[in-house]
Amino acid sequence: MDAIVTAGLTKRYGHGTRPIHIPGRGSTAEIRALEELSIEVHEGEIFGFLGPNGAGKSTMIRLLLGFLHPTAGSGAVFGLDIVRDSVEIRRRTGYLPGGIALYDTLTGERLLDYLAGLTGRPPVRRAELCDRLELSAATLRRLVRDYSRGMRQKIGIVQALQHDPELAILDEPTEGLDPLMQRAFYGILDDLKSAGRTIFFSSHVLSEVERVCDRVAIIRRGRLVALEDVDALLARRKRNVEMRVQDPAPVLEGVPGVSNLTVADGLVTCQLEGDVGPFLAAIRDSRIVDLTIEPAHLEEAFLELYHDEAEVAE
Amino acid sequence: MNRALYLHTWRSQRLKILIVFVALTIWGALLPIVYGTFGQTFKDIISSGLIPEELTQFGGGDIFTLSGSIALGAIHPISLILNSIFAVGFATAAIAGERQRGTLEVLLARPLSRRTTYLTLLAATLTFVGVALLATIVGAIAGSAIGGVLDELAVDRLPLLWLNGFLLFGAIAAIGLAASVSFDRLSPALGVAVGLVVVMYFLEVLGTFWPDAEGLQPYSLFHYFQPKAILEGALSGTDLALPAAVGIAAIAWALFEFPRRDLAAPS
Repeated sequence: MDAIVTAGLTKRYGHGTRPIHIPGRGSTAEIRALEELSIEVHEGEIFGFLGPNGAGKSTMIRLLLGFLHPTAGSGAVFGLDIVRDSVEIRRRTGYLPGGIALYDTLTGERLLDYLAGLTGRPPVRRAELCDRLELSAATLRRLVRDYSRGMRQKIGIVQALQHDPELAILDEPTEGLDPLMQRAFYGILDDLKSAGRTIFFSSHVLSEVERVCDRVAIIRRGRLVALEDVDALLARRKRNVEMRVQDPAPVLEGVPGVSNLTVADGLVTCQLEGDVGPFLAAIRDSRIVDLTIEPAHLEEAFLELYHDEAEVAE
Repeated sequence: MNRALYLHTWRSQRLKILIVFVALTIWGALLPIVYGTFGQTFKDIISSGLIPEELTQFGGGDIFTLSGSIALGAIHPISLILNSIFAVGFATAAIAGERQRGTLEVLLARPLSRRTTYLTLLAATLTFVGVALLATIVGAIAGSAIGGVLDELAVDRLPLLWLNGFLLFGAIAAIGLAASVSFDRLSPALGVAVGLVVVMYFLEVLGTFWPDAEGLQPYSLFHYFQPKAILEGALSGTDLALPAAVGIAAIAWALFEFPRRDLAAPS
């Protein structure tokens, strides 16, 4: 069974009511926060949900958790309807909001106890999570108001995962964590995945999405731009190639996957897409002094997709 | 109702409850002591005609009888302010305040329906209101004993007095909570609740001092708070039914409105 399924999920604000005034943009009849989004998140996978600010990421999460009501379309989590069965969905879900706000007058321990009490499931993973995120007993005895941003984020992660939910919805989970803690967090994600848990992961940090996610969905202005395996997305991405050769320069025109070729003073630059075999065959007999093929990164793929979409829109 | 949320709410308000309880006990005791000590002297002054009779009463209370002095203490602005700490302050902040701080998101991410959340917070608010009113009753008994007029106190009518006050401030609390679920920020919710209480209080007091404004008093919930009439055995059923009806209407609105609202991301 899929952990999350949405079909034409749409959220608009202001429809059928008074126009909404947006400073600098005048009045608009409605805001299209999410437009016919259809995705499937498989059980046991880490699913990345990407998009810039205002793209509709938070709207999607809030629809899944029942904070918002869909304008059209439908959604289900573990087969449960996101409108009718919201309470049961939240019983099986752990949620880390972006920029989490906590009860400042409680100690960390009291806060975690309180939230576990509300969840109604024992905090079976708390000790392990606190240990891995270096939240000591002394730290947990301090008031939350005295916590640094990173410590608040750690508490946020623990409260979302302490009851071992079947689905974790994490919005910018590494925000405020130092690199060591980020690494510890990735380890936690790996373990959750190994245990068959599903993780819905929203982030701006594309390098971490690339590192931890199996598949990604990219949305732009509320619409789905791409939904595919991270590996497949990277494989399609054009990599920048820079090669210094002694004369004569290899003949790269017409080589499959090669584009934007320039040759000047022994410096060959081009872009390479897909299989590198034909390219390597073409340069085999050249005297190469230096060769750099930049690894494909999600960031470039993301920007390329956005660039392409923008051109289509124009 | 959710037990964990109810207990957390109690724990977070315990110091405030203690302070309000002590303050209302002291205030509730003060006027019966004043009556027991100076009541006859005041009565002689009024009988002499030095002060117009209209100015000797405030909101149905006076200081010439024990029931009047208890009523005066109950309707006095000091009592109103102390009771409003929970009926208005806590009630309006219960949802809108959490929403503004961003903690409502953490709360509602748990398996709690919005109606359960609302009903739990309503139960907590009504408990606080009930405890605060109990302090007034405790103070009245203590003040009567200290002032040596306990034999004048109709102790058997005190539960009815508590009920009448509970229905008034319970209705105000229900209005505050209804405002709280209807807004994303605390200030408009607080503005609506405080505005209503101030206007209703003004209408009631105005009618007390100015006979031409008596026609406005029935539009105020405070008009149906009648401590003196209760202690003298002359309570009207309307004084219980009307605040109860207003409270139920506010609760019905909140139960309808809160689940259907969109809770966008906190700004």
